[in-house]
Amino acid sequence: MSTIGTGYDLSASQFSPDGRVFQIDYASKAVEKSGTVIGIRGKDCVVLAVEEIVVDKLYEVDAARRIFTIEKNIGMAIAGLMADGNFVADIARQEAANFRQQFERTIPLKHLCDRVAGYIHAYTLYSAVRPFGLSVIFASWDETDGPQLYKIEPSGTSFGYYACASGKAKQQAKTEMEKYKFADMSTDELVQSGGKIIYQVNDEVNNKDFRFEMGIVGRETNGVHFINHASWSQLAIEAGKAAKTADGDNEI
Amino acid sequence: MNCLGVEQFPDYKVPGVQHVDFSPYESNGGSIVAIAGEDFVVIAADTRLSSGYSIHSRDQSKLFKMSPKTVLGSTGCWCDTLSLTGLVKVRMQMYEHTHMKTMSTDAVAQMLSIVMYNRRFFPYYVSNILAGLDKDGKGAVYSYDPIGHCERATYRAGGTAGALLQPVLDNQIGYKNQNLPADQLPPLTKERAVAVASDTFISAAERDIYTGDSVLINIITKDGVEERKLQLRKD
Amino acid sequence: MMNNSFAQPMWSNGPSPGQFYNFMGGNAPTQLPRELTTAGPFGTKHSTAAITTGSSVVGIKFDGGVLVAADTLVSYGSLARYQDIQRVFKINNNILLGGSGDFADIQSIKRNIDQKMIEDQCYNDGVIMKPGELASWLTRVLYNRRSRMNPLYIDVVVGGVDETGKPFLGNVDMRGRAYNDYVVATGFGRHLALPLVRERKPKDRDFTFEEATNLIRESMKVLYYRDTRSIPQYTVGICTAADCSIKGPFKVEENWTFAETVKGY
Repeated sequence: MSTIGTGYDLSASQFSPDGRVFQIDYASKAVEKSGTVIGIRGKDCVVLAVEEIVVDKLYEVDAARRIFTIEKNIGMAIAGLMADGNFVADIARQEAANFRQQFERTIPLKHLCDRVAGYIHAYTLYSAVRPFGLSVIFASWDETDGPQLYKIEPSGTSFGYYACASGKAKQQAKTEMEKYKFADMSTDELVQSGGKIIYQVNDEVNNKDFRFEMGIVGRETNGVHFINHASWSQLAIEAGKAAKTADGDNEI
Repeated sequence: MNCLGVEQFPDYKVPGVQHVDFSPYESNGGSIVAIAGEDFVVIAADTRLSSGYSIHSRDQSKLFKMSPKTVLGSTGCWCDTLSLTGLVKVRMQMYEHTHMKTMSTDAVAQMLSIVMYNRRFFPYYVSNILAGLDKDGKGAVYSYDPIGHCERATYRAGGTAGALLQPVLDNQIGYKNQNLPADQLPPLTKERAVAVASDTFISAAERDIYTGDSVLINIITKDGVEERKLQLRKD
Repeated sequence: MMNNSFAQPMWSNGPSPGQFYNFMGGNAPTQLPRELTTAGPFGTKHSTAAITTGSSVVGIKFDGGVLVAADTLVSYGSLARYQDIQRVFKINNNILLGGSGDFADIQSIKRNIDQKMIEDQCYNDGVIMKPGELASWLTRVLYNRRSRMNPLYIDVVVGGVDETGKPFLGNVDMRGRAYNDYVVATGFGRHLALPLVRERKPKDRDFTFEEATNLIRESMKVLYYRDTRSIPQYTVGICTAADCSIKGPFKVEENWTFAETVKGY
């Protein structure tokens, strides 16, 4: 961000003279503070993985989950404000339910993503509202479209990805992800990679205490989106912990 | 009037389709008898659920335990019975939460009347008999018509064989037309009440096709509700 | 996206410039869906009769679960119109639903139920609907529709197991009349299959799986012989604690040799 708002940051409905909408930039800041979240797309599987930073040990273990199920085969992960995330998850579910009601099939992920992106974008246009402090990642798998992965930014822009990341260690995660060939990966390999990346990019100094969360959907889950599936999550966590100790050894 | 009726589109007439006038009501049969004593009340209902000539179930209880001291017997249109008892149970729970006590039998009786009259112009098609112990611990029987008229009695028969059973009770419990001096009439004990109720059902099963299979008898005393079951003819 | 005429308007009750925004949960005026409104002063004529219909459904409870069977015919009046339509559905790992009556109404209620199952999954709390709950919900929907004189012309069998593996079998009709029993049937099955099954019921115990399957086979055969709106092909839903699935289609073992000996009609 080049300058502080100087009066142009009070409303989402006004540009600054150098062509920015500061409210969107600020919303992105909210995303950057959040624990890392990644989505990766394999041969016939998509994995969402979240580094859930434990801010307070008094929370219950399943508090503030950042992965949601939107439809049978659609998962959503968020980085940013938890409350905004719950709201957008609900909007996405309504979109999916509405589509199903009209066409009697699951909503294509591209279509869902367009709808939700449009919704998020609309919140950047009016003075009465603020943009969502969210980066939303959608993942799905089905027989016709195969694995699909999309991400929406606070501005409402959305793209399809082979692999994407948001949150604190976005850059690190992206650098790390470029080393992999996800597109050829089997489900197990993909799950392990997901675990590895999250554990590797975790900031051991400041956020050592974190919880690993994973959403998975693919051929091997019979096209059903699972959150923290027992065996696959264990596989990911083991791979992640192994990678972490190996990393530590190298550095010494 | 029938602007959207299929009969307006002769080209689309379906051969063999029966066009029926929908009736929201259906008689699913069943009878209830309740007899109140000094410190007890007996309520009995058969377990046959039928419509027309077919029997849906031979083991459907028509007695609803509303509280430890109150049992409601309900027959007629079974879907109305389900809805009505469900609604009354909800309202009894609301009463319990607001007043921190269980509704008395008298209060349930009054409420049931109001709940039923609320549907004055689209009535619950049911024959209800409410049995329980009143505030003084005495046996109480309340009977209703479908639109909520409520009357306290000492004995009552209702349901499809109600008209068949009531004269028997009049004679055996009310001692109507018995030319015996009052001191020679047998006292109404619990066992006598159960015996008379059982007998009326055995007789009703002979003549009413909607009453049969078995009869459930609830005996309510201050110690709780005792349940008994008696087999009836199943044809 | 804007060219898509099927798409819903993006902003229903959303913020618009220069106006106050009604946030969700506010008192935005809601209108009851049309099918739930009562008759108007000029007379509202609702459903006249079932058009495309499914015939009998038979359900039998056994010691570890339930079986629900129905043939695969959906008739158009007396015409055997659709001959390969499943009428027994798996709702989730605990519930089977067998539908008879107006097939459009069955499909409509099925859509509603399917959406509820997706909601169940979205909650991600491990809690899923049990057959007793679905049956109870159906009574409320159907009773409300009949009370508005706009019924769904259906008669359904709900079967399944609860969380402890205890079998459940019930029937809900178009008025919301509901009951549970070890055997339930709709349509002609009520006249033909019910007595057949009741006759074989041991007093002191439930049916075994073996006995139940044999009775289903027998019932479907009798129904095919005697119900004119039936075909010799059926599917069977099996729900136990271990498994919930639809088997088939099976064929009825036909034998018409006796036909030659039938005289006097």
